[in-house]
Amino acid sequence: MTSSLFVQSIGFGLVTASILALASVGFTLQFGVSNILNLAYGDIMTACAFAGYAVNQAGGSIPESLAAGAGCGALASVLLNRYLYRPFVRHGTKLFGMVVVTLAVGIIVQNILLGAYGATFFSYNFSTGRQVHFLGMVFDTSQLMIIGLSVVAMILVQLLLTRTRLGKAMRATAANPSLAQASGIATDQVTDLAWLLSGALCGLAGVVLVLNTSAFQSTTGNDFLVIIIAAAMLGGVGRPAGAMAASVVLGVVTEVAAGFITPSFKEVIAFGVLVVVLLFRPTGIFGQGATVKEIPT
Amino acid sequence: MNAAFSFYASTLLVYLGVDILAVWSLNLQYGVTGIYNFAWIMFQAVGAYTAGVLTLGPDTGNGGFQQYVLGLRLPEPLPVLLAGAVSGALALVVGIVALRRLRTDYQAMVMLVISVIAVLVVENVTKLFNGPAGLSLVPQPFGSLPLSALGYQWFYVGLTAAVCLIVYLFVHRVTSSPLGRALRATRDNEDAAQALGKNVVRLRLFVFVFGGAIAGISGAVLIEFIGAWSPGSWAYVETLVVLTAIIVGGTGNNAGVMLGALLVPVAFNEATRFIPQFGRPGLVDALQWIVIGGLALVFLWFWPRGIIPERRRRFPGGPAAVPAVPAPRPGEPA
Repeated sequence: MTSSLFVQSIGFGLVTASILALASVGFTLQFGVSNILNLAYGDIMTACAFAGYAVNQAGGSIPESLAAGAGCGALASVLLNRYLYRPFVRHGTKLFGMVVVTLAVGIIVQNILLGAYGATFFSYNFSTGRQVHFLGMVFDTSQLMIIGLSVVAMILVQLLLTRTRLGKAMRATAANPSLAQASGIATDQVTDLAWLLSGALCGLAGVVLVLNTSAFQSTTGNDFLVIIIAAAMLGGVGRPAGAMAASVVLGVVTEVAAGFITPSFKEVIAFGVLVVVLLFRPTGIFGQGATVKEIPT
Repeated sequence: MNAAFSFYASTLLVYLGVDILAVWSLNLQYGVTGIYNFAWIMFQAVGAYTAGVLTLGPDTGNGGFQQYVLGLRLPEPLPVLLAGAVSGALALVVGIVALRRLRTDYQAMVMLVISVIAVLVVENVTKLFNGPAGLSLVPQPFGSLPLSALGYQWFYVGLTAAVCLIVYLFVHRVTSSPLGRALRATRDNEDAAQALGKNVVRLRLFVFVFGGAIAGISGAVLIEFIGAWSPGSWAYVETLVVLTAIIVGGTGNNAGVMLGALLVPVAFNEATRFIPQFGRPGLVDALQWIVIGGLALVFLWFWPRGIIPERRRRFPGGPAAVPAVPAPRPGEPA
């Protein structure tokens, strides 16, 4: 591989990392606040991509599609948590049961999309814009927009979590729900807001994912879930900052390695990185030696 | 009984046998021991492929249209046994990585990811197991017997039943023994089991390997019957079908999960097979998956212990026999 190809694949890696960061921060936030491993996450992403697609087909611009995707994701996630996941937890469903619940929800969402849209590929009607050269890397304008969107979103999430009362309340709820409640935090509302935020990230990720891959179908989001899980675990599940860092690592490593080997091994490489890390640090690179938390009720 | 129906019924019985092996295997891991094995289908697939390459002969046969490793033609029951051994060995490797040090929620994620990765690897490394096309033309065992096609069907039903019986003896021996008690203790209260001197990691690893071996055997029985298998049919969602069968039948109960195997993968799939196709192609399949997902949700909500719940075990001298002593309230003299 020539050095210019190497540099270019780092450019691709940054785009992938941006999409991955949006997705994995939302995923890890849901786990952190609710201790629910939401395997329906990828399928919600696809649903949001279809929502954005509907706006796009109606003549909407790309920002409008992004807004539709984010709104769809936020709404779907809050409703899902409030009316399905949380009732199941309060009903006494344990961790394993909850994983099966989310898996079942994912299958249902995915197959509703399959039933509604069929097994064909769709693509947004948009122009990728002119090419921009930067340090030997070539980006489409749309890719630069994805990177910019992701960077802004990550900064906002980080500021929200570390600088505001709401963010503090979210972190408190994640760390110890009953103590947070006893300290006067309305944990239910905080959890709802956390799912709203993570759902919006999920929706944004769904739309930018299909903007970047250009063609998508009912399984696209779920196919991406493996890398999302890898990034979340690598960063220490429940730690948004860790997920961001892990996304950059995985995004760049998988794209560069894809240039050397074959692109279809991206997930395999991501998984290889994950296994090696887990062998030495079972809680991820950035995770602390956390114990299994109680599920907030 | 006319020939067509007899053919159909015997095919169903073989599927039922395979599904029963499947639910016993996953029930041991999840129902009895509480291991979150979302990669279960991979162990069944590995068993199937092992049995396939051990009966197909060299891959230059049939005009060399498919590529695979090994390519031997071993006599029965060696392929089935080796299928179990290879799946068990794989379970040992996966178990050592996933079960030894990781938190349970991490285990679930790692298993799921492994399951997806395995499909990717097999689909992309064509030389290994013929890529996305999978293996086909796997010969049926004892094909030289002088049996009619129908007679062979029922002969295979007998073979499957025999395998089920042998496996049941092993499974029952594990779940009804002190070892089974230790496994359930691991599931119900890991810390307490550890405090009583049980090596929780070793117990989990044992059950993971044992269940993995049974999964491999079930795959071998399946592929030697239908003669073909491809990666498309072992996507990780297939594990959800087996899980749903266990949840519906009765988690942790060998008889209950048998009922689950009869109801979910067999009866449900057959009942929906005769629904005429309507709407766009694939709509009925999509609806099937929606109903399977819905079934899991409904049972987890209304009957989380399943149709035949696990028996509550009482032991003489256990808590029931000890007179209840009220715990001293804080502040009161003990």
